[in-house]
Amino acid sequence: MNLTQRRVPISIRRALRKVEPAFYIAPAFIVLAIILVYPLGYALWLSFHQWTLRTFKQGIPFIGFENYRDLFSNPDFINSIKVTFTFVILAISFEFILGMLLALLLNQELKGRGLFRSMILLPMMCTNVVIGLMWRLLLNYQYGLVNYYLGQLGFLPVEWLSSPKVAMASVVLVDVWNTTSFVALMLLAGLQSLPDEPYEAARIDGASSLQSFVYLTLPLLKPIILVALLWRFIDTFRIFDVIYLLTAGGPARVTETVSIYVYRYGFQSFNLGVAAASSFIMLLIMLAISGLLARAIRREE
Amino acid sequence: MNRGNLRWIKKVNQIIVYILVILAVFLSIAPMVYLAITSFKEPELTFAIPPVWKFTPTLQNYDEVLSSTDFGKYFMNSIVVALVTTGIALSLGTLAAYGFSRFRFRGHFWLRMSSLVPQMLPPIAIVVPLYVLFNKLDWIDTRQALIVSYLTFTIPLSTWMMIGFFDDVPVELEEAAMIDGCSRFGALVRVSLPLAIPGMAATAILAFLYCWNEFLYAVILTGREARTLPVIITSFMTNKSVLWGRIAASGTLVLIPVLIFALLAQRYLIRGLAKGAIKG
Repeated sequence: MNLTQRRVPISIRRALRKVEPAFYIAPAFIVLAIILVYPLGYALWLSFHQWTLRTFKQGIPFIGFENYRDLFSNPDFINSIKVTFTFVILAISFEFILGMLLALLLNQELKGRGLFRSMILLPMMCTNVVIGLMWRLLLNYQYGLVNYYLGQLGFLPVEWLSSPKVAMASVVLVDVWNTTSFVALMLLAGLQSLPDEPYEAARIDGASSLQSFVYLTLPLLKPIILVALLWRFIDTFRIFDVIYLLTAGGPARVTETVSIYVYRYGFQSFNLGVAAASSFIMLLIMLAISGLLARAIRREE
Repeated sequence: MNRGNLRWIKKVNQIIVYILVILAVFLSIAPMVYLAITSFKEPELTFAIPPVWKFTPTLQNYDEVLSSTDFGKYFMNSIVVALVTTGIALSLGTLAAYGFSRFRFRGHFWLRMSSLVPQMLPPIAIVVPLYVLFNKLDWIDTRQALIVSYLTFTIPLSTWMMIGFFDDVPVELEEAAMIDGCSRFGALVRVSLPLAIPGMAATAILAFLYCWNEFLYAVILTGREARTLPVIITSFMTNKSVLWGRIAASGTLVLIPVLIFALLAQRYLIRGLAKGAIKG
């Protein structure tokens, strides 16, 4: 091996070293590209064409940006964007507040910590279909356990999934149940990698534990908070199955996120052009926000 | 404040911490425990108000699930699709992660971030074009259609997680092996890979669960033959009625691997997700 290496001129060896990373990285990217190039290209093509169940046999006319233009004057689409952002912001806020508390708890010296963590991890690994149906059972107005035990405590039953005022809160509640543990365990990983020295210094200087949390822990955790935020953003923004099974976007569209809107147009009205255009708008919003988060992460490195 | 007082405060603190942790555990698992309990109830008891907690358990729901559907076949579909996808994604992702972890080059950061883009594609957006594509290939209702679709999110996930685990393996070990005459690839296979095995196991488990849990692609790209378990669960919801007993039973069956994996991989899972973006 060393012999052959000596015979290769240095310039070629340098060039080889430069492309060496590609040898490792390229296969994954190539496979993804092969799989995705057609679907993405076809979706883009569709978004510039009129494709409806009634007319596609007569042809699929090119209509430029008309699908996109129509969407921005379509109140249902605007509504779905608002619903998505409301859901994303509410869900992520609660998940991070509760997740931080949970992480601080689990960071204490506890007997059986591993077992506790496994149990708390379960909701994030739970099958979405099961989550949706299970909570539909629990939150059932007449027969659900939640309303029954609320009643025992003297509360009136709540129309969790069928009242336009409450449905969004219920969907957020289920997502918080599902993924707070993800945020908590990620923050916990961060907490455990924190150095001890600044805390000792702060204690000697007489800082309270609240002060050292605000001025030391939060800034030190910032990189991991941003990564967790990126993951949660990607997942909440695309959410489909859980909401679909809980409320299917209802009542009165108060939980109709963009994904559900796309589903309604693509699979119920079979207007594939509009469905494709709305998913591209959704993708662009996601790329823009993820890009901002990624830049913030980069600054931390 | 004297010493005894301080110790007392500490003790109360500890008790509060335990109470809160146990409350969190309770809230996390109670819904699933309830589902499992419901699966052993006779269907008439499912909606009994007040809820019935003492009853003679029955396997009736499980019997019905197993006899009314080809459960075994769909179980195999789920397993095969998840395993094959995980195998492919883990190999490709591990290689790519190694490249990201060991080399620095121009555009390194953004290339790494762009590996997440497929993860961002809303499944609802590409499922129609995928359907058209698989229709042309005559792959509708086959396992390979699902495997190919699932690679779009398992490859990014595996790459991302494995970067964190490779960052934890000291470069010096590989360098030593290379000085002893190993090629870089040889050093990867003989030195770093064995050390990254816990990470690979955690990654594999998470990728497996993502496939195991997937619903949208499965419901649209498959018919009678290649269906997976999440689709079967929803098949107990018909226009006429919702068969909650069967849903509870099949849901409980689907959650068994989830439970096993959560117990196995807890320690490694989160570190992997957390470290993908941050240099160790």
